[in-house]
Amino acid sequence: MATSMTIWEKLGFRKASRVGEAGWGHTLWAALVSFIYFLPVLIIVITSFKVQNEALSVPAKFFPTSFFGLIPEQYVFTPTLENFTSVFSRAFTTGGAVENTGFDRYFFNSMFIAGTSVLLALVIGTLAAYGFSRYPLKGNDTYLFIILTTRMLPAIVVIIPIILMFRIVGLSGSYPGIIFLYTAFNLPFTIWMMKSFFDELSLDVEDAARIDGSSELRVFFKVCLPQVVAGLAATFVFGLILTWNEFLFALLLTGSDTRTVPVAMNQAVAGGGIGVLWGLLAAIETLFLIPVFLVTFFLQNHLLRGVTFGTVKR
Amino acid sequence: MTTTAIQTPPTAFTTLALDNWKLAIAGGLGVSISACLAMPATSSFWVVAVMMALVAVTFVVNAFRRHYYGGLLVSPAIAVLFVMNIFPLLWSLGLSFFSYQSNQQAIRFVGLANYSKLLTDDLKAPELWANLTNTAMFTVLTVSVQMVIGFLLAVLFAKQFPLRRYLLILVLTPMMLSVVAVGVFFSYYYDPTFGVISQIIKAWTGEQFILFSSKAGAVAGIVFADAWMWSPFVMLLVLAGLVSVPTYLYEAAAIDRVGSWRRFWTITFPYIRGLLMLALLFRTIEAFKMADLIILLTKGGNDTMTISYHVIRIANEQNKTSEGAALSYLLLFVVIVLTNLYLYIANRRSQGN
Amino acid sequence: MSTIEVKKITKKFGEFVAVRDADLSVKAGEVVCLLGPSGCGKTTTLRMIAGLERASEGDIVIAGKRMNELPPEKRDIAMVFQFYALYPALNVGENIAMPLHFEKLSTEERNKRINSVAKILHLTEVLDRMPGQVSEGEKQRIAVARAIVRDPNCFLFDEPLSRLDVELRHSMRGQIKEVLSNLSKATVIVTHDQLEALTMADRIAIMKDGMIEQVGTPHEVFAKPANVFVASFIGTPQMNLVEADLKSFGKGVASIILGGSAVEMAADPAVSKLRPSKVMIGIRPRAFTVQDKASKDTIHAQSELIEPMGAETLVHARTKTGADIRVVVPREKRVKIGEILHLKPDAKQTHFFGEDGMAVRT
Repeated sequence: MATSMTIWEKLGFRKASRVGEAGWGHTLWAALVSFIYFLPVLIIVITSFKVQNEALSVPAKFFPTSFFGLIPEQYVFTPTLENFTSVFSRAFTTGGAVENTGFDRYFFNSMFIAGTSVLLALVIGTLAAYGFSRYPLKGNDTYLFIILTTRMLPAIVVIIPIILMFRIVGLSGSYPGIIFLYTAFNLPFTIWMMKSFFDELSLDVEDAARIDGSSELRVFFKVCLPQVVAGLAATFVFGLILTWNEFLFALLLTGSDTRTVPVAMNQAVAGGGIGVLWGLLAAIETLFLIPVFLVTFFLQNHLLRGVTFGTVKR
Repeated sequence: MTTTAIQTPPTAFTTLALDNWKLAIAGGLGVSISACLAMPATSSFWVVAVMMALVAVTFVVNAFRRHYYGGLLVSPAIAVLFVMNIFPLLWSLGLSFFSYQSNQQAIRFVGLANYSKLLTDDLKAPELWANLTNTAMFTVLTVSVQMVIGFLLAVLFAKQFPLRRYLLILVLTPMMLSVVAVGVFFSYYYDPTFGVISQIIKAWTGEQFILFSSKAGAVAGIVFADAWMWSPFVMLLVLAGLVSVPTYLYEAAAIDRVGSWRRFWTITFPYIRGLLMLALLFRTIEAFKMADLIILLTKGGNDTMTISYHVIRIANEQNKTSEGAALSYLLLFVVIVLTNLYLYIANRRSQGN
Repeated sequence: MSTIEVKKITKKFGEFVAVRDADLSVKAGEVVCLLGPSGCGKTTTLRMIAGLERASEGDIVIAGKRMNELPPEKRDIAMVFQFYALYPALNVGENIAMPLHFEKLSTEERNKRINSVAKILHLTEVLDRMPGQVSEGEKQRIAVARAIVRDPNCFLFDEPLSRLDVELRHSMRGQIKEVLSNLSKATVIVTHDQLEALTMADRIAIMKDGMIEQVGTPHEVFAKPANVFVASFIGTPQMNLVEADLKSFGKGVASIILGGSAVEMAADPAVSKLRPSKVMIGIRPRAFTVQDKASKDTIHAQSELIEPMGAETLVHARTKTGADIRVVVPREKRVKIGEILHLKPDAKQTHFFGEDGMAVRT
């Protein structure tokens, strides 16, 4: 019956070969939905290649080339890299001198602050999660509940005292201040997520390692940690996405040297007086999206496994 | 847990040792109090910090010598959370009983006046209620849209199909965007003259379309942007539940000729119920805190002010720090009530079954 | 009629061929076991019959109808899964009821059917419990109950007993066999346990590397293995398979050199077709008699290792050329390590295999 395969089936438009699997037909649907869903992002990316008057043109120009005359000229724009270069240096007034915008610094700040604080939260949170999971304290559940509640706090409840506190200690506008704050911001989630991972592990393996004479440190690093890599990756990605784009704390607690991209982006929008420079803003966001997009893409499998593992049994 | 180390006896109170935490607390407390009385605020703060560090060190050494690994592992996290969350929270609670404006030096104890003013003042109480109802409306709308869209997306991606990996990341992207960019670009899409949406509608109806001209339009615009951004989060959680259903159950259902409706309710739904509730809780809390998108899209115009934005305005733009603190405590109260209500329902559900 | 016919089916996963040209037919009321080591394609074959996998080539005919393209729902079959696949959110009674919803029965009729299968499989007491609250053995019976609660075209079992302990396995074997004999449906059971296959099956299909090596009754596959693989796979302790030189054959007697000893033994006339060459001789460990003296029909070997097995003793002996021979002797026969044994194989239980590994038999 090998010959009964039609040309459609060969192209992949076939019935699923087993339960829970689908062929290219399903891909087509998913691609359509994904494309529509992704469209607003795509427009941002396209806009980053347009000069200002093309970004504001009516009708909107969507296509970088006319595909050999296939697309009417009015929908075609001339792609330019100008926006990307002017992210980093441009003339602020027409005819003025080209100045550094400081965005290289802001990109570094965003990476440094988000990376450090998420990693710090991961280290502290993983240790705490291991502690909560393996050496339960008196009132363990109360501690955990309080930790979860702090995650639910509206940021504004704590932000006023933190501003005052930072002002007194001299941490406002410094790296340690904002990093410390973001670490605390990421901790509750990290602890809950990692605890549920440690709870799932079999204790037998650890006891076997102890009987073989491994120290507690060795048990933790050589036996437990390698088993929760998916959880670490998932927690890292979630933390990174949230911290990377955090706006309110960054707006109120970073100084001119420690400003992160979202804050700088907001200022680039607000400042200028000649309306929003759409192409420029789109270029900033496109550049800003790339790192977190890549991290998510490469840790994607862990992400899905991590969420399942970490929360399903809760 | 399995350690059976012989307990080292506690160090005597008077011995000067690094694990004598009782002495460290006593000494530290003494030094701190005298420093607070004698020195100006900034330097006394540092003295208190050093004393706290000393107490912390004795705790750590004590825990290590006596194998209290639990406390040792947990303490850094507790310390960070205490300094950055609990302590500011208490400070904020204290502030709410004072009259204080951050641009003025004067500070005065007023008791519950801030709260009573917010709740009974002829001008402020109706505004608060209006903002609360707005917030509730936003929360209900955006969360229900997110749950539905997130769920449908998850169903679409639950199967294994070619290129799934690449399409999934496209759907996840909105979640990775900065709120600033989402806010600004949605106002670009909604713009009456050059916005994409307006252009399409204009081509259709022939009239210029101004979304933000009415409250319904403004609410729809905000909910659309927020739901677009956060549905992928719901999708991720639901998807995790869907892929955790063992394949053999679906195979058994196929053999048993179970209809798709029954299959969903008896096999799939029990696996995603917990995650759906979790997504609901997370998104409700986040939606309740919504402020940034509104700041960027309507600036509270057209009666789209939410309670969070209100607090930010009072505390940051109008510098009424203590009034903001009181209001945020009211807000916290609502969040805690909501959370407990949720936990109550979730528990009753799981016991009921 | 409840029959299953599998005609030359092949399953490819990319480049890998899991099942190759498998042929099998199961009559109504017949129980066929698919037996083989893990990874031999037996479960894949079963899943293709069920419609859980699509066959790459070949035909699957159930109850006289070609069903290749039909999904499992349309094939009207019942299957017991290896991990039972009980619906975790439903209680035992609801689990058993699942296949009945399709038939839109009245509630009374449905309850009547559930109660009658529950009675057969001793599940009446646990009907209200959740799958997480019952024992392994009960789970297994629930899975069987769910399969037999309706009247399907055929029954499929995927390693039904592999998760039970030895005792439960023994009693469940009997129960399943009894239940199946009352139903008279075509049944396919996949197993890697030959004891299970030998006791439960009317016929056994032995698979290796995706191919069916032999189909026959339990007696046939044991007494007349078609090739070296079947010979080595069926029977414990494993059959001795020793390389030997065939010197000559005449008057029903073959002269061979086996493990350094020249042996003469009665052989099937078909052996005459073999040219004097290397052959493989298969002798079951229980087919030897230990002689006191060497003679022209004994093999010379020295005992090396002794394993008491209760009623019998398994002796590992080594021939002069170093080939290992397993011999089962009665318990009373005391064999010492290092003792020289003169082993006389029973000609009727001796199998000749040619160079291609196939049995030489008329």
